[in-house]
Amino acid sequence: MKARWMRGGVSAALALLGLLLLTFMIGRVMPLDPVLAIVGPDADRATYEQVHHQLGLDRPLWVQFGRYLGDLAQGDLGHALLTGRPVTEDLARVLPATVELATLAILLGALLGVPLGVWAASHHKRLPDHLARVLGLLGHSTPVFWFGMMGLLVFYAWLGWAGGIGRIGLGYEGTIPRVTGLMLVDTLLAGDMAAFRSALRHLLLPACVLGLHSMAYLSRMTRSFMLAQLSQEYITTARVKGLSRRRVVWGHAFLNIRVQLLTILALAYGGLLEGAVLVETVFGWPGFGSYLTSSLLLGDMNAVMGSVLVIGLLFVALNLTADALYRVFDPRARA
Amino acid sequence: MALASVPTLRRRHLPVLLAASWQAARAEPADDQLLIGMSMNNLLSLDPAAATGLDAATVACNLYDSLLEVDAGNATRLKPSLAQAWELGDGGRRLTFRLRTDVRFASGQPLTAAHAAWSLQRVLRLNLAMASVWKSYGFTAGNADASIRAEDAQTLVLDLPQPTDPTLVLMTLATSISGYVLDRDTVLAHEQRGDLGHAWLTTHAAGSGPFELEDWRPKELLTMRRAARYWQPAAKLRRVVFRHMTESQTLRLMLMRGDLDIAGGLSAPDVRALAKRPDLVVEEVRRATMYYVAVNARHPRFADERVRRAVLRHLIDFQGVAGSVLPFYGELQMRPVPPGLPASLPQPAYTFDPAAARRLLAEAGMPGGFDTTIRVVAEAPFTGIATSLQATLAEAGIRASILPGTGNQVYGAMRERSFEIVVGRGGGGAEAHPHSSLRALVYNPDNRDSARLSNFQGWRTGYADAELNRLIERALLTPDTAEQVELYHQAQQRFDARVGAIQPIAQMLDTQVLRRAVRGYQGHPSGATRLREVSKDASP
Repeated sequence: MKARWMRGGVSAALALLGLLLLTFMIGRVMPLDPVLAIVGPDADRATYEQVHHQLGLDRPLWVQFGRYLGDLAQGDLGHALLTGRPVTEDLARVLPATVELATLAILLGALLGVPLGVWAASHHKRLPDHLARVLGLLGHSTPVFWFGMMGLLVFYAWLGWAGGIGRIGLGYEGTIPRVTGLMLVDTLLAGDMAAFRSALRHLLLPACVLGLHSMAYLSRMTRSFMLAQLSQEYITTARVKGLSRRRVVWGHAFLNIRVQLLTILALAYGGLLEGAVLVETVFGWPGFGSYLTSSLLLGDMNAVMGSVLVIGLLFVALNLTADALYRVFDPRARA
Repeated sequence: MALASVPTLRRRHLPVLLAASWQAARAEPADDQLLIGMSMNNLLSLDPAAATGLDAATVACNLYDSLLEVDAGNATRLKPSLAQAWELGDGGRRLTFRLRTDVRFASGQPLTAAHAAWSLQRVLRLNLAMASVWKSYGFTAGNADASIRAEDAQTLVLDLPQPTDPTLVLMTLATSISGYVLDRDTVLAHEQRGDLGHAWLTTHAAGSGPFELEDWRPKELLTMRRAARYWQPAAKLRRVVFRHMTESQTLRLMLMRGDLDIAGGLSAPDVRALAKRPDLVVEEVRRATMYYVAVNARHPRFADERVRRAVLRHLIDFQGVAGSVLPFYGELQMRPVPPGLPASLPQPAYTFDPAAARRLLAEAGMPGGFDTTIRVVAEAPFTGIATSLQATLAEAGIRASILPGTGNQVYGAMRERSFEIVVGRGGGGAEAHPHSSLRALVYNPDNRDSARLSNFQGWRTGYADAELNRLIERALLTPDTAEQVELYHQAQQRFDARVGAIQPIAQMLDTQVLRRAVRGYQGHPSGATRLREVSKDASP
């Protein structure tokens, strides 16, 4: 057991190191000049070269990467050009915003998508199945930014049900003490119910838009897993024994797809955490995806490397969690 | 009966109560706050020694004060600010400022000439982005102490290290972020490894302005609160919230809902749509910055004046671009010196004429045209201009491919002189002075690659004309106004006749959309839009 965990830890560390090396090299060959972003297009050569030197960009690549790893070993991810602050501080600021959004989105996606997939599979080639497939196709193929814009137009501009952009009404911005970074929690901790309602109104629409995309994916995968199970002989046996359809579907077939579902849920959640950038852009959501994209466009490699490291760690953590849950749901994995 | 009816009543009314509570959340505490939505992509630093661009100017002018201000309605008129009086001496080489005695920084420290001198010296010592303009006047880190000094608590003296037009220096003090006066003691209290407080000032402020910085989360949010003490009447609004927003459609929706008071960076179709609404006002402010088409005169093809004339004079559909692509972005302007200055000239009569262009290309030995590339920033209106140019070049047989990129990529290539054609924007400092525009767009004192004068667009385009440089230099040093204007006219006419490698198309317009309830807002040509006078009508 201990050896297995150690093997897992070593392979995760190697994967992260490879990820960092690859990102570093790609960052250095990208046609972007972080110095220009700092000094502006009209700076003279002396100023340009001074900043170039200050950033350490005049040193050999292996020296730059070595220094980065040395600092990383001490928990220092460097300073971001974009913000002038330590990358760790930036990540601690933007990550909770995305976690809040992605968590609600994956909950909505799973709560709707999984039953929809089960329903479709248990009504294979009948109306519910066709309906679920059309919904899945729509959710998966329609660009998420289009959904976002339409959502804003209808639920924000026309009906006034949803909040506008951002995590909270502009009038509340900067007035809620930051404790957890999760706006819903922080407004509650501050005891400001009006601000809490404002935060909830701002969160629901982007979470629904993001959740719709997950719902489509999860329903299609659930349907496919369930179809495979429902064609097994033990299902026929259960039906012959006179078990109700509901019992067969939920009590037998569904129990056997939990492990597979866990895997895709973990992957989908990881995908939302690092890939919510379009929704974040449309809704002005100051999250991790926006931070990473802005940093990339600026050539801000400290911020990019830090973000990539976090993504890597998130996926490792999600995979480890899924592994641990396999053993809970699947007795064979405990052996 | 009564007891039984109560829960029934509650259940029936629960959705109504929830809906009412939900709707109540829409009433947000914003009547005494100004809510501004704009792109803050270029706001990377608030340090007056390093902050570049209009975004920084918009924010910093409300946190700091400068010695002088420029009238928002007349960009050539200087007004007193921290300096209540100033005078020229020593044959125009010495500027003496008399500072007010009643100004305090946000920290409570009194503002003195020593702070003003130290702030300017700091810009030169750090030698970051904003030092360039001061270096062009001959100031250096080496001569900063001798040439910028406080004679007493209220008297600041600037000795100009080299001959220049002192009006230009005054304009820079009034419009450049680098001219803001910092609270030296507060800044030095945050100094790290001899950086003169640069790291701290990147995200903090230490000024005497009408607002104090409350919070800044880059690319997200910046909030300012009304300064507790201010030497002028206090700001009318309690708080200003700048929200980073890049999506034009989102800005539009928020304005329509009344969740924003002012929005900048909207696309032309959105501005056009919003202009029809009675509760909104569109305000346009002219900047000195120009949209331009530039060719690389170091490239053998564009070194030929006939080819430049064909491309830059006859193959740009100026009127078409101005009418279809540039509304709300810019106004037709074909000379480097913008209108409204004594040295401005009427627009030249350049016309889109493919036949004339073909003749010139044939004379230059390229009757069948040639293949080329247009580098362009991948956003409006640049892409619209580039697409139009691609089509009009084709009419003379020039086959141009468009290479879209970020500003960093496009201007980076220009700085390296590795381009053929660029559609870009630049030039024209904040100072309303012909030299500012000519220096930025045309002047090129050393055309060698090794000179690396990449801060001059003239050097970037590889176009050098010694006589033109001489005219610009002479004009700057000519004290007689009429003679100076005449020299600037000659410089522009020479640039016109010799077909310089950069062709202005339009003067930039900064378009803002405001709720009609916002009062006292006046966009400033230099970007330094002060918000102390802005107020809002209460929500109905």
